[in-house]
Amino acid sequence: MSASTPQTVLMASGARRSRTSHALVQNVGLVLVIGLLAACIIGYCVLFVVTQHRFPGGFELTSTLDNTMPLAFAALAQTLVVLTRGIDLSVGGVIDLTNAVAAQTLTGGPVATTLWTLAILLIGAACGLVNGVLVAVGRLQPILVTLATLSIYQGIAIRVLPQPGGAIPPGFTAVLANPNWPTSLLYIPVIGGLWAIFRRTRLGVAVFAIGNDAMAASSHGISVKRTVILAYTLGGLASACAGLFLAANATAGDATTGDTYTLTSIVAAVLGGVSLFGGRGSGLGALFGAFVTVMVVNILFFAHIDPLYQTFYEGLFLLAAVVSANMIGRAVRGRR
Amino acid sequence: MTRPAVEAVEVGKSYGGVAALTAASFTATAGEVHALVGENGAGKSTLIKILGGRVRPDTGVVRIGGNAVSLSGPQAAHDLGAWTVFQELTLLPWMTVAENLLLLRETKGATGLISRSATIRDADALLARYGVHHIDPRALVEDISLAERQTIEIVRAVSNNPQILFLDEPTSSLVEREVEWLFGQIRALRTQGACVVFTSHRWAEIRSIADRITIFRGGKDVGTFTEIDEGEAVRLMTGRRVEALYPPLPPMPNAAATALEASAMSGPNVRGVSFSLHAGEVLGVGGLAGHGHRELFRMLFGDATATGGQLTVHGKTRRFRSPRAAIAAGIALVPEDRKTEGLLLRMSVRDNATLVILKRLTRFGVLKPAEERRAAQSVVDSLRVRTAGISQPVGALSGGNQQKVLLGRWLLAECQILLLYDVTRGVDVATKHEIYELVLKLASEGHAIVFYSSDAEELAHLCHRVLVMREGVVAAELHAPGITAEDIVSAAVRDHLAA
Amino acid sequence: MSGSAPGTILHRAIFNKEGRRIVYAFVAGIILFAIGEAVRPGFASLDGIRSILVVASFVGLVAAGQTFVILIGGIDLSVPWVLNAGAILMVVSSLGTNDRAIPALALTLGMGALVGACNGAGIALLGIPAVVMTLAMNGIMQGLTLGLSGGMTCTSCGAYAPPVVQAAVHLRALGVPVVLWIWLVVIIAVSFLLGMTRFGRATYTVGNNARASHLAGVNVAVVTIVLYALSGFFSAMAGIMLVGFGGQAALGMGEPYLFQSIAAVVIGGVYILGGRGHYLGSVAGAISLTVLVSVLLAFNMPDYGRSIIYGLVILALLLLYGREEDSA
Repeated sequence: MSASTPQTVLMASGARRSRTSHALVQNVGLVLVIGLLAACIIGYCVLFVVTQHRFPGGFELTSTLDNTMPLAFAALAQTLVVLTRGIDLSVGGVIDLTNAVAAQTLTGGPVATTLWTLAILLIGAACGLVNGVLVAVGRLQPILVTLATLSIYQGIAIRVLPQPGGAIPPGFTAVLANPNWPTSLLYIPVIGGLWAIFRRTRLGVAVFAIGNDAMAASSHGISVKRTVILAYTLGGLASACAGLFLAANATAGDATTGDTYTLTSIVAAVLGGVSLFGGRGSGLGALFGAFVTVMVVNILFFAHIDPLYQTFYEGLFLLAAVVSANMIGRAVRGRR
Repeated sequence: MTRPAVEAVEVGKSYGGVAALTAASFTATAGEVHALVGENGAGKSTLIKILGGRVRPDTGVVRIGGNAVSLSGPQAAHDLGAWTVFQELTLLPWMTVAENLLLLRETKGATGLISRSATIRDADALLARYGVHHIDPRALVEDISLAERQTIEIVRAVSNNPQILFLDEPTSSLVEREVEWLFGQIRALRTQGACVVFTSHRWAEIRSIADRITIFRGGKDVGTFTEIDEGEAVRLMTGRRVEALYPPLPPMPNAAATALEASAMSGPNVRGVSFSLHAGEVLGVGGLAGHGHRELFRMLFGDATATGGQLTVHGKTRRFRSPRAAIAAGIALVPEDRKTEGLLLRMSVRDNATLVILKRLTRFGVLKPAEERRAAQSVVDSLRVRTAGISQPVGALSGGNQQKVLLGRWLLAECQILLLYDVTRGVDVATKHEIYELVLKLASEGHAIVFYSSDAEELAHLCHRVLVMREGVVAAELHAPGITAEDIVSAAVRDHLAA
Repeated sequence: MSGSAPGTILHRAIFNKEGRRIVYAFVAGIILFAIGEAVRPGFASLDGIRSILVVASFVGLVAAGQTFVILIGGIDLSVPWVLNAGAILMVVSSLGTNDRAIPALALTLGMGALVGACNGAGIALLGIPAVVMTLAMNGIMQGLTLGLSGGMTCTSCGAYAPPVVQAAVHLRALGVPVVLWIWLVVIIAVSFLLGMTRFGRATYTVGNNARASHLAGVNVAVVTIVLYALSGFFSAMAGIMLVGFGGQAALGMGEPYLFQSIAAVVIGGVYILGGRGHYLGSVAGAISLTVLVSVLLAFNMPDYGRSIIYGLVILALLLLYGREEDSA
């Protein structure tokens, strides 16, 4: 069987682009968001020095990071779903719910807290699973499914925690969002690492493949249903992480604070170069996108923008970022 | 004779009431190259999809390796050693060549995770093993050419060491040299005892590689042969003589006005194309897929911007910025894919037929329903569209009747210049004949027609002149009478043969 | 084959799938009224029905705009703050006086249409995804509204809606509140626009297949811009009706209307990816949603329970008839 491998040469090798050139062009969204983040950090530092007459220090670093972590996880959750050509409007609901459960249950000792933390992660995953099953097996549009489950998860959250409150144990906060030490500096590489691992698993490849073309992916033997369900489930898990970090940061729970994350997670993902049409983007980009989103708020603050106008500038910034990213992306590809 | 590798017995499949396959049977054995031939719409592609596990048959039995199988999906077929290269390619556009080649069998590193660098390396080695050195495994699929994509699909299927390989029109976008390469791969598989089943429209290719040929017509097999001459095969495929399929070409009117004149038109994939088209003339455009016809048609219709050259319509120089402008100048386009670019499948025959002339059927923007019905009905009547009524969704009609509705739309609009792009693709023989008659009738009534077809035979019989495009330029201009399909094909591939 | 026009409409309403969905949504509304009456007698009294329909009309107006954009596969997330801006602009520009009411109405509706047109232009001309464009616009309008009104601290912000506007919501003509007459006019106008005009036909063709429409000479960009402008117009109109209803404007008054309008449109059988559906369906959706909420209130259902049941009902309806068809 081995003897007759054909040696017909179809065509000799031509000039190839370098590895870096490929990497740059294929990850233009990621490159842009990193540039954007760098610009934001510089702008922030300049404004800080001008207005505060000193350099931003450990406190600023810690609080910025801690404020970003919930959004970073929410953006990751959104990215996992958007990559499959879906959208998850229930991100905010899952954060509400996990945040509420955290406020009600994380009151005991370290062991109970750890067990409940795991349980909360499972709750988040279960919420995602429900979404995924409805989308994949129920053959419903993601936007409608998650609109409905958003309402359901929000309702359950309020049932669990009718009034804002609950006392998150200091130990829990010290681990996830220590006010005195930038614990998040540990978590960010962990998220990045987890994403890198995910991207290098069969599931990761399958998520990208069905976002590219579900029909083609299934004709290669990828199970579209299974992949969609797992993507939503992982998304739910990431939303639960957001809920936990939010609780740790606020040291209390609130069944409605998560609501805003539905829309900001989309913003962060889009800023991070994730295509709403699926199949293109990266969790790392979304992570950076989350940081950009938070940095813009900080910049507006130190620029002494009237806080009432905050969302106005955020909206303009989002549009400007998306339009210019489109143009730069097209220019880079057009030059090939 | 060796054991049968794959068998289809009386396989049937319908889509929304339209039968694609009625009772198709054939048997191919191990160590055999088996060609399935037939007209567009004869059911070959549907059969390949069923055998590849992508579509489930309504009736009939599929046997692989002697056992009746019910394939739950392509994976099930792969598990039985059957791999398929589908006609509509299944590569993932925003992933790299390497990721596509090694999908679901990526190279894992020591950690158990997929290693990108090792995947690239292995993809490179795999491509080299099959003699493909010119495709960069790091490139995104959307950035490589159609022929390169086809090559990647073939390498992927072949590299899985298939026991059975199904290829649906694998040569349609390949040039001579690439076809030779593919045949090398097929011969090697045959030597190894694998079974290769493929479909093709090119008779020379079929003769050079196939051991046996099964001919299909109208969703059924009409015979399997080891030796058959082309005339006989065509007669079996079409159910009529070749000459009878094509109506006689009406003479070109003398001293007819020039309707459309392109001089040195350039744009994406098109370089300096010039021609002039007279009223009453059918101007054919032919050549291999991906050599600029598509872009030329889009430019003529204002759907792509020309970067150079000049377009004159009825004596006036024009620069179309949108299809709207072209339509206003009396130009119509029946596009490549009527389902995604032509028709609104869920809307009614009426809505589809009157779309372009709605302005005429409204007063102050308000529709006049009775007049609209009358206009739509006139299309149905004059083109003999077979439909339950004008309120029927156009998607429920057969391919040929859909095409008639689309043509009717432009006739209602009284467009004088018709750009017809592969209008008989996926249309049954009887309707094909009707469309040919219609095209020639329109020409004799003074319409000017630009006619692209992937079928050289069609061009040879229906056109007063044929422009053969190669690499974006007009490589040859052939004049009737006496154009043959061979002339067209050889003009299309000439320099590849020379190379 | 083709019967008389009214016969065709009736035929469609009963036999085709879209028509059936509208009928289902209306039937659901009627059943819910009956349940309400059983739980709390008087629920389905004339007064009860009147007050529920008035509340439904606000959702229904927003849903008119949402129907337009969803018919081309878009979505308008800028509803909450366009509505809110409309409400505030109405009171601030009229200062609660009747003689300024007309210019104030024109200004407010014009603002809504203009903002909507900007949405459409961003989507059609700059190629920004509808979700991103309208989301950003919602933020922009929120910031502008808050900033320009100083967080509702401006002197004229506390003004009441002009008496005529309040009267339009509360007064009755022939036993029916004027706002419902207005809604009826909107229902007829929107249905006529979608069903009987060239523009309506273009809306469906673009929603069905934008590429094929472009190749058939439809001006896809203009259609898109006008549809989003209409959505902004109806959001602003709902804002005007809401200040008329409540007397004064408040911050955040538009928030509930985003998801309610989308839910109403979907329950009414408009296909979320575009191309199919009727405003009459969205009307039925708006009514049944509003009755549902009222019934749950009649059950003394707490907030959270309403929210959960709301979601479950939408899911149940989607599973009943919102399935995607198998692609052939």
